[in-house]
Amino acid sequence: MEKQRLGKHGLDIDAGGPQGPQFTPARIAVIYAVAGALWILFSDQLLEVLVPSGPLNAAIQTAKGWVFVAVSTALLLVLMRRQARQREAVAGQVRAVLDSIGDAVLVVDPDLRVVDGNRAALRLFGVSSKAELLGPLVDLAAASRMRLPDGSPILPKDFASVRALRGETVRRMPVVFRPGTDVEVAAEVTAAPVEDRTEGPVRFAVAVFRDVSEVRRLDDMRDEFLATAAHEFKTPLAVIKAYVQLLQRRSAPDAPALDVVNRQVDRLSRLVQQLLEVARFRVGGPDLRLAEYDLSKQVEEVLDRMRRAAGGHRLHLATAPSAAVRADRGRIEQVLVSLLDNALKFSPRGGDVTVAVLRGSGEAVVSVRDAGMGIPPERQERLFSRYYRAHEDDPDDRGGFGLGLDLAREIVSRHGGRVWFESEAGTGSTFFFSLPLAAEAPRASA
Amino acid sequence: MPAREGTILVVEDDPDLLALEAEILRGLGYRVATAGDGLEALERAAADPPALILLDMRMPRMDGWQFAKAFRERYGDACPIVVVTAAEDARRRAAEVGAAGFLEKPFDLEEVFREVERHLNAAAGPHP
Repeated sequence: MEKQRLGKHGLDIDAGGPQGPQFTPARIAVIYAVAGALWILFSDQLLEVLVPSGPLNAAIQTAKGWVFVAVSTALLLVLMRRQARQREAVAGQVRAVLDSIGDAVLVVDPDLRVVDGNRAALRLFGVSSKAELLGPLVDLAAASRMRLPDGSPILPKDFASVRALRGETVRRMPVVFRPGTDVEVAAEVTAAPVEDRTEGPVRFAVAVFRDVSEVRRLDDMRDEFLATAAHEFKTPLAVIKAYVQLLQRRSAPDAPALDVVNRQVDRLSRLVQQLLEVARFRVGGPDLRLAEYDLSKQVEEVLDRMRRAAGGHRLHLATAPSAAVRADRGRIEQVLVSLLDNALKFSPRGGDVTVAVLRGSGEAVVSVRDAGMGIPPERQERLFSRYYRAHEDDPDDRGGFGLGLDLAREIVSRHGGRVWFESEAGTGSTFFFSLPLAAEAPRASA
Repeated sequence: MPAREGTILVVEDDPDLLALEAEILRGLGYRVATAGDGLEALERAAADPPALILLDMRMPRMDGWQFAKAFRERYGDACPIVVVTAAEDARRRAAEVGAAGFLEKPFDLEEVFREVERHLNAAAGPHP
């Protein structure tokens, strides 16, 4: 393999190749024409100098013609061989590049035949030679038992490369293989059409398979760990909470103290929940389970539930026109609880908390207004930072991890909405979040 | 003579929580059988067919998923199962094993009462 030249902007495939100037067909033609013209112009003069005119003149002229043919043929041969070598060098470079890519690459022609593949493709499809890779795409898919992650088969018309041959660009389509052994390989396929020129007919599809088995395995381990952590934390909390409630029923004089214990257990549960959620969300996070429902109804339900725990506060619902959203109900409930929790927590002297649902253009906006301590301007900027607690040094610090708003923003932005606020120190704060209305919501998970 | 019909089988590996759930249900007047894991629960169910099962999911030896599957294979869908779980998405957990309901740890006593009454009344017809 020839040495690859690395140009300033990466691998330099087009310019020159490894053996000097490139001989394009035009350049070959020019060299040929110049050589021919020089011959025609000067060969006769040269001949007169070298050979005195005589009876042999006709034979010499004929010989000169043959010499011209021989020399020009040799010249063409040299030039064309050189060009062929350069082509081979470029092809070799492309091959080397292809083979050094860690992801499996397949090239599929319009007859749905695999016409090329790289070294990683041999590994992924569990074959030992390239010959086994080439041939009908359907055979390769069957031999490697390619399926969707849920185990269902993929129709040939839905193959990423077949879709690419129809002109579509497919990004990160998840598939699984079981090549040879029973070890499942999870991969993401990205496929694109290769066209002659822009708008030209599709000549090939290139499909790139990225092996994500290791990523999946780590995901599974993380989920397993978080599930264990949740179980381990919440089982003792469940025991404490239920016994406290049993004792409350039996012992009237202790009821107020037990009430406090009960509230603190709830607080601890929420903190545990938040920690687990953040861990999960930050590392790629759970998928949203989207369903269409009325946001206003949900706001009413959550308010009803929280009124019971609200103590001296009064929770109001100002306006709530029905607003159909396509969202993950559990996650949005978390956002609502988090905002209401904050409103109550940071209004230590009581006062009203007013919630409103508004329908804007294409989105529903929920606002939560309190008459609490407000957020000083110099702390407002960092409010959404994880672990930031705006009231950390205040005499009436209410505790917490500083995770609620961070999480709320993460959840809402995954739905295609946003969270913002207005606040004045001493008079209170209003927090808003928006969600796209059902008709406008993106179909795929945000 | 129990005040109410039917045995409730409580399956939970944490002994304190097991004792507590049993105490709550006995307080409501139900007969209660207890098991520390899925295998033990299958034995209890064979000895005394339950009218309702409260099922923890993460347990040693035989977990909630395996137990629910084995139980259904033997006895069909007659007995409702209520999943008691710490999982983030209790509703989905419950759906995975075809449970009739779920309780999220930590639960409120009221929720336990409601859930138990709902299933036993549905199974036995309304109480007077």
